[in-house]
Amino acid sequence: MAPKLPPQHPLQHSTTAAADGQADHAHHASPKGIMRWLLTTNHKEIGSLYLIFSLIMFFIGGIFALVVRAELFQPGLQLIEPEFFNQMTTMHGLIMVFAAVMPAFTGLANWMIPLQIGAPDMALPRLNNFSFWLLPVAFTLLLSTLFMPGGGPNFGWTFYAPLSTTYAPPSTTFFILALHIAGVSSILGAINIVATILNMRAPGMRMMDMPLFVWTWLITAFLLIAVMPVLAGVITMMLMDINFGTSFFDAAGGGDPVLFQHLFWFFGHPEVYIMILPAFGIVSAIIPTFARKRLFGYASMVYATAAIALLSFLVWAHHMFVVGLPLAAELFFMYSTMLIAVPTGVKVFNWVTTLFRGSISFEPPMLFALAFVVLFTIGGFSGLMLAIAPADFQYHDTYFVVAHFHYVLVPGAIFAIMAGVYYWLPKWTGHYPHERLAQCHFWCSIVGVNLTFFPMHFAGLAGMPRRIPDYALQFADFNLVSSIGAFFFGISQLIFVLVIVLCVRGGRKAPAQAWEGAEDLEWSVPSPAPLHTFETPPVFHRSHHGD
Amino acid sequence: MWSIIQSVLAALIGVQKDRKRQQDFASEKPLGFIVAAILVTLIFVLILILVANIAAG
Amino acid sequence: MRSLWQWLLPTCVIAGANQAQANGWNMPVGVTDISRDIYGLHMTIFWVCVAIGLLVFGVMFYSLFRYRHSKGAKAAEFHEHTSVEVLWTAIPVLILVGMAVPATATLKNMYDTSEADLDVMIIGQQWRWRYEYLGEDVAFNSNMSTPWEQIRGEAARGEHYLLEVDEPLVLPINRKIRFLMTSDDVIHSWWVPDLAVKQDTIPGFINENWVQINEPGIYRGQCAELCGVNHGFMPIVVHAVEEDEFEIWLAERKEAAEQEAMGVDREWELDELMARGEPVYRAICASCHQAEGQGAPPAFPALANNAQLIDDLDWHIDRIVNGVSGTAMPAFRSTLNPVEIAAVVTYTRNAWGGDTGDAVQPASIAEKIVQ
Repeated sequence: MAPKLPPQHPLQHSTTAAADGQADHAHHASPKGIMRWLLTTNHKEIGSLYLIFSLIMFFIGGIFALVVRAELFQPGLQLIEPEFFNQMTTMHGLIMVFAAVMPAFTGLANWMIPLQIGAPDMALPRLNNFSFWLLPVAFTLLLSTLFMPGGGPNFGWTFYAPLSTTYAPPSTTFFILALHIAGVSSILGAINIVATILNMRAPGMRMMDMPLFVWTWLITAFLLIAVMPVLAGVITMMLMDINFGTSFFDAAGGGDPVLFQHLFWFFGHPEVYIMILPAFGIVSAIIPTFARKRLFGYASMVYATAAIALLSFLVWAHHMFVVGLPLAAELFFMYSTMLIAVPTGVKVFNWVTTLFRGSISFEPPMLFALAFVVLFTIGGFSGLMLAIAPADFQYHDTYFVVAHFHYVLVPGAIFAIMAGVYYWLPKWTGHYPHERLAQCHFWCSIVGVNLTFFPMHFAGLAGMPRRIPDYALQFADFNLVSSIGAFFFGISQLIFVLVIVLCVRGGRKAPAQAWEGAEDLEWSVPSPAPLHTFETPPVFHRSHHGD
Repeated sequence: MWSIIQSVLAALIGVQKDRKRQQDFASEKPLGFIVAAILVTLIFVLILILVANIAAG
Repeated sequence: MRSLWQWLLPTCVIAGANQAQANGWNMPVGVTDISRDIYGLHMTIFWVCVAIGLLVFGVMFYSLFRYRHSKGAKAAEFHEHTSVEVLWTAIPVLILVGMAVPATATLKNMYDTSEADLDVMIIGQQWRWRYEYLGEDVAFNSNMSTPWEQIRGEAARGEHYLLEVDEPLVLPINRKIRFLMTSDDVIHSWWVPDLAVKQDTIPGFINENWVQINEPGIYRGQCAELCGVNHGFMPIVVHAVEEDEFEIWLAERKEAAEQEAMGVDREWELDELMARGEPVYRAICASCHQAEGQGAPPAFPALANNAQLIDDLDWHIDRIVNGVSGTAMPAFRSTLNPVEIAAVVTYTRNAWGGDTGDAVQPASIAEKIVQ
């Protein structure tokens, strides 16, 4: 009867190894001030940079969302013009997807993967530095388009051609360049993660011993390597259409606007899983910890993750049910989309069964993880509804879709990130986050998220299209509630910042094993984790494995 | 061989026994699994295309 | 297999779903057989999700309550159970197959555009709809008629705020109408919830869809695909009328079209052209070039005090007739008739202090279009 994977109480000497490591490095003439951060190759520092960057972008993207919600507070145009409204919806989507959620997961990967597999650092530290510093460049460029003549991108984060080519503002070329840079960053980061996981596990740690966060990130990294080049391809085709007179997507020149959508969603659907698989990994670490019980069906979870990743390449055209696909294609994508619900359901069942007959406590990370399970599942249900192609003719491009993907991304991906931050903050800072404030943050977020996004289901079913700056009077009540909820949610995220700042500055001291039920390798090094850990590889005890 | 195919099929629905998983990962050579997974995926796609075409009439 | 959800539909009604529908919280049942089928599918999958949700969340919250650490719960040791896992994989698969069968039937029905009684071409344009009754020589544009004063909050908003047009699409009930859908510029999407028709209109493609309306009435919808700055302001209104009423309407429209065609050959006065041109400008041009012709550079150039435009009449006409490739300016050759083009050219050359005195004749435009 093996307890939770991976193994337990390893390596007393890893702490000494770490301490030695620190002593060894004391003589390094490390640069000070800004140069330290510009030149750092340390996975923990780069992880922190990623996380801080993503938090800043989360607020910038959030402000864009609040501008949108403020305009939609009432019918009529009050605050902004439709042109700027379109720029705000577009920028909100782009920033949240590419600059907030993805870098946050990469940041967590940087911090935690080496610690969880007993590696001293990432496999390619300089590349790691480069991957990060590409991001501020990319998104400064992207944000600067808002100040260019003709404004920033205004064609939605899905940038369908020809609206994003022939009819786009002049700044679109900068948008393409920014996305290229962000894409390079993602690919390099993914290569680094794959190299680290495959090559740098502690002696004795086999693939099957890895924590699920490492597993899900390994699969995510392969997804990234597979689809980011597709994105690069499609935006390069846009670049050619805009600047070099080609007609890939221009019907007047013999091009095909639908080709754009096929290419975009061939990238875009796996992208959705890129944003959710690491969340599965985080939740799969937190729930067993606070249920004090081994994760139910670890093996099934690994296999289900692989299945979801593979199926994610076969479902892209469910985003295109109303573009006029042939009937057989429509059926193919409906069936494959319905099938992807099965492995996803398996994961939810596994989490719930892990809770069953556990010994459950409700620390802040657990609160967010539990909220994740419930609210992500609600997002999954609406996803199942959207998979029914005939019904999608009514749902498509309405607020029902907006509600769906926000349920998957906000209380899904973002709650998982927050759960992970609360879970690992003691390891990063050596202090527990302020419990009362964290609880306050949680309850405000729960109320805010549901207030914002639940009414959108009704608005969409009642007939409100997405991406409109003004709406018919029957949608007024839903939008009023959503806007109030959005501001409440947005403002309550300041509590999150407060908790983090307080936690960095002080608080209740955390021991190496900060949570009673936590058993992965990262809890064997001191809290806060010293700059260099596992310089001497830990000996990984396979514990009481096997049946 | 059958064991590999069984594992890949298990992956497809996302249910696997721990004992079987340990067997799978006991060998350090993933090539067999990768080839089997690609083949099973192709067959899966072909079956789905077939079903869709039959249903479309 | 239709029986599955036909049986479930009354259950939904009992559960008060119709109440929700009446209040505008749910998908409309609609007025076509297909819209009813879709509503049935929607409610079935909804209740399936509710049932699964109650079960899963029930177990979850029971566990959270029952096995609290603070109440001294001791964790059990189990961590896998193959038969349970196989069961909870197999049951969803069965449910999904049960859903896929009626969904496939409905989808096949939606795709069957054969044997239509009437063909209507729907053309999306930034930002209006154009309807052409194929074979009937009847075609017109349908623009939003909600005044901007209401949008800006300077006037009280009407009941059908943003969902009203100058010329609705008129369709007969009880006849199978095939829609042929395309676009002149970017992708739009023609959506009327009560008809359960949503179809992208894509430049260079002709999509098909169809509708057979069971009840007369006025059905409203909107463009569903982001199509630029005025995406939120291109509504759709369908008047579904009795068949004989439709025939009368169609005959009237044909006669009006003939009248208009005759107007091409006669000489028009400046005042006449100006009066005709103003509404055309407001409906067609003002969304980009703005009400006073001031434009919105760099995308939309100003027309007022535009020296090139004033100096070169042929160039001016050419812009409107043939459009400007690579920009948002479409060719109006087939969207507007010669009288309308002549009137709007005259209007833009004389309004806002232009005062060129040019009265452009429809006949000369007709020649340019033939070229």
